[in-house]
Amino acid sequence: MSTEDIQADTVLDARGLSCPMPMLKMKKMLKSMQKDQILEVLSTDPGSKNDIPGYCEKQNYKFLGYYDDPEDFTRYYVQT
Amino acid sequence: MQKQPGFLRQELGRGYNLIFQETWPAWISGIFLAILALILFLWWHTWGVAGGFSNWGQWIYYLLGIDESAPQKGPLLQGMSVSNIGLLVGAFVSALISKQFALQRAPRLEYLKGIVGGALMGIGAALAAGCNVGGFYSALGMLDLGGVMMMLGLFAGAYLGLQYLLWEMENLEQGGAGGESSPKKGGFDWKRAGPYIGGLFFLLILLAFQTYSWLGYTKMGGVLFIGFLIGMVMHRGRFCFANAFREPFMTGDSSMMRGVIISLIIYGFGAAAMKWSFVQPPGAGVYHPFWLGSLGGGLIFGFGMLLAGGCASGSIWRAGEGHLKLWLAVLGFFLLNYPTSRFLDQSGIKEYLGKGIFIPAILTWQGGLVLFILFLLGLFILLRWNEYTEKFVAF
Repeated sequence: MSTEDIQADTVLDARGLSCPMPMLKMKKMLKSMQKDQILEVLSTDPGSKNDIPGYCEKQNYKFLGYYDDPEDFTRYYVQT
Repeated sequence: MQKQPGFLRQELGRGYNLIFQETWPAWISGIFLAILALILFLWWHTWGVAGGFSNWGQWIYYLLGIDESAPQKGPLLQGMSVSNIGLLVGAFVSALISKQFALQRAPRLEYLKGIVGGALMGIGAALAAGCNVGGFYSALGMLDLGGVMMMLGLFAGAYLGLQYLLWEMENLEQGGAGGESSPKKGGFDWKRAGPYIGGLFFLLILLAFQTYSWLGYTKMGGVLFIGFLIGMVMHRGRFCFANAFREPFMTGDSSMMRGVIISLIIYGFGAAAMKWSFVQPPGAGVYHPFWLGSLGGGLIFGFGMLLAGGCASGSIWRAGEGHLKLWLAVLGFFLLNYPTSRFLDQSGIKEYLGKGIFIPAILTWQGGLVLFILFLLGLFILLRWNEYTEKFVAF
């Protein structure tokens, strides 16, 4: 399954926010989700490309991948 | 032997990916940053950012007729101002070449946080006689005890700033974050043209260096160029002191702070070699107000940088990447930094803030350097321990 076909359970719109707000909101949201649910994060901050996978690795969340949306933001997928 | 077709193209592509595609690990940027800060120290002076902002503020107040006397030097001849300009252009070029430049708009509350955070950083930097660079990074690298105090203040301020952000997340819902952000359709395609425009600006910086030289200001030309390289290195590593002081409390991650520590060890040893051998005067860069000014300034600065989402140097490179919020942080910084410094000076409060203490003057060079290393290694271990235990993580 490619990243573009992933169906997320919850969407976090962090577009327009810069460091550290996308990470802060993502951390909070992931904590409130149930096991194996998928979170989709929309972000325009270039830092997210490093921060989100790095955070997932450390916290044992499954980072499913990302892709650049034609509307100039990036969609990230994380499974709890 | 078969000759590989397109060898040069392949190598260039690999080099491009390595330098401009991947984000550099914090410790790599830290090493490069230390080398550049040392070159700057050898060439000119200790690296700082707030001094340049103060110069800009001074000009603004003079041009508005609020201040009677003009600053001694123009922004193109004042060292820290010149290195700030270099840093901004360096980050801009780096963002263009790596296709990360975009004018990033933000929700209204974020703009407010940018300007208030910048203003608090300006006030904090005035108290501490320097920002995260001059008051902490360079101060510690120059073995000035004020740097240690500012570090403690920055940790405390970052912790309080994070508490505020958590409160804000619960209580102030930001409406329509998404709608305002993405660039307009049909606008200029920065990502496609970026590398070419970046290359052009790189040539312009070289030309500016040469022009300074022609006019008899070779030293300032060099400062601009070194500042430019610092901007590139900071952008490529997304090297951020706000991140370094915040993450141990936010996610527990300490990779940025460990990058800062590695950088400081190199910077400190290099600067010590230059001072001990009298290539530079031993007292160079030692003027930070131990302990009250550095500690209190660090606290206010730390809180401000959490609101702004970038420290002094981080705000500049993010501004270069196109974040409008960070432009406001820079504005808030230089509008508040100069008047606060002036007030502290004229009211006599400055006398009570403390004075610069050169660690080797108390503990000798040998003792001072050993303590410097032990202190940083101790911090390194503490941060690693926190990564595993998350003892300091706020939520």
